[in-house]
Amino acid sequence: MKPTARAVDVRRYRIVRNVVLAWLTAMILAAFLLDIPKINILEHTARNLYFHVPMWFTMMAAVFVSAAHSIQVLRGGSLLSDIRALQAARVGTAFGLMGLVTGIWWSKFTWYVGTDVWWNFDPRQTMAALQLLIYGAYFVLRSAVDEPVRRARVAAVYNIFAAVTVPFLLYVLPRQLQSLHPGADGNPAFSEITAPVMRLVFYPAVIGFIGLFWVLYTQRVRLAAAKLRVTQDPEL
Amino acid sequence: MNWLHGTWAVLQKELRLEMRSRYAVNMLVMFVVSSLVLIAYAVGQTEIAPRLQVALLWIVILFAASIGLGRAFVAEDERGTVLLLRLNVRGSMVYTGKLVFNYLLLLGVDVIATLVVTVFLDMDIVYPGLLAAVLALGSLGLAGATTLLSAIIARTSNRGPLLPVLLFPILVPLLLSVVTGSEAALDVRDGWPAAMESLATLAGFAGVLITTAILLFDYVWED
Repeated sequence: MKPTARAVDVRRYRIVRNVVLAWLTAMILAAFLLDIPKINILEHTARNLYFHVPMWFTMMAAVFVSAAHSIQVLRGGSLLSDIRALQAARVGTAFGLMGLVTGIWWSKFTWYVGTDVWWNFDPRQTMAALQLLIYGAYFVLRSAVDEPVRRARVAAVYNIFAAVTVPFLLYVLPRQLQSLHPGADGNPAFSEITAPVMRLVFYPAVIGFIGLFWVLYTQRVRLAAAKLRVTQDPEL
Repeated sequence: MNWLHGTWAVLQKELRLEMRSRYAVNMLVMFVVSSLVLIAYAVGQTEIAPRLQVALLWIVILFAASIGLGRAFVAEDERGTVLLLRLNVRGSMVYTGKLVFNYLLLLGVDVIATLVVTVFLDMDIVYPGLLAAVLALGSLGLAGATTLLSAIIARTSNRGPLLPVLLFPILVPLLLSVVTGSEAALDVRDGWPAAMESLATLAGFAGVLITTAILLFDYVWED
């Protein structure tokens, strides 16, 4: 395994970064300024839809990217694949944490208003928390191996092994726990009752945050690849 | 070498080594008994619900597995027998042999833990066959995950307490199913029909875990 010459196409990175920055600025302005219908209890918290949901979509995208690069590592890929798997997991964890916080806060003031609970073992919430636990274990495992090539291999094995178990939760959890999330238990996901103006902001928000993921991820890959060139170890 | 033959050879080696020192068996028995007795003292005279009884039972089994089975590959490293194994048998044989050995140990843990919980925490088993099936299937998945992860642990530099950290997030689907399945064995109204879904999940989970582990094991085992 030897580091390849160029990890990142810097020109493409700069173009995408500028586009994403402009796109997200417009999207956030629209999220706060556009008028939305007032619904009892939900009120202005409905705007959280533009942030909470895209965070999850982004984390799922990150999980796929990370697992795909872990498979690449085992198929004889370079240390660069390992860097990509790690950085996707890191940025994904950041998005997952933000999704969890925005979700807990939102539900506290809407679904659980009056009951005053923070955590109610909603299936999706549980699954997301579990994915974060897995990544936590993945980072701990990485810090326990000193030699880069061996670390790449061992971490990739764990990442794939853990990724295999997560889909089981899709089957197990909904049978044991009730969900209030849209799209589960016959709740409509995105239907005609959702105001059209919200779709107008929501879809661009999803694209924008996934774009932000790409920018942060590529930036970190670039940094780690530079470290690898200088020190022979991407994490020094 | 024939695959079954190699697996049997690895299993035989494990059994023979265990017969000599009896370290793992003694350690597991003492861990399960002392931790459950500790729980029983802490709970005291309080009645605890069936759900809580099976939850405690499974938590103790999980901890016993993560503490007692973590040394499978570290011990090979320390004795310097890794190269010998690599030369003589293929990776999948090593994995399967150790898996069977760990599974036998875990079945012993299940029996002892269930006995202790029945006596000290007053667990009322209505469907013994169902509880045995849940324990057997749950332990299979547990053994499959623990065996691969203990091979991973042997590749790290500070091998101590890493196994529980790696193991527990992976086992959440298993834990949820075994607890529901075991709970059904304690309730007269539930029984087999209520536990079918849990049993199916457990069988699927064990199958997927072990298949993936066999596919991935070579990458950890070979240098």
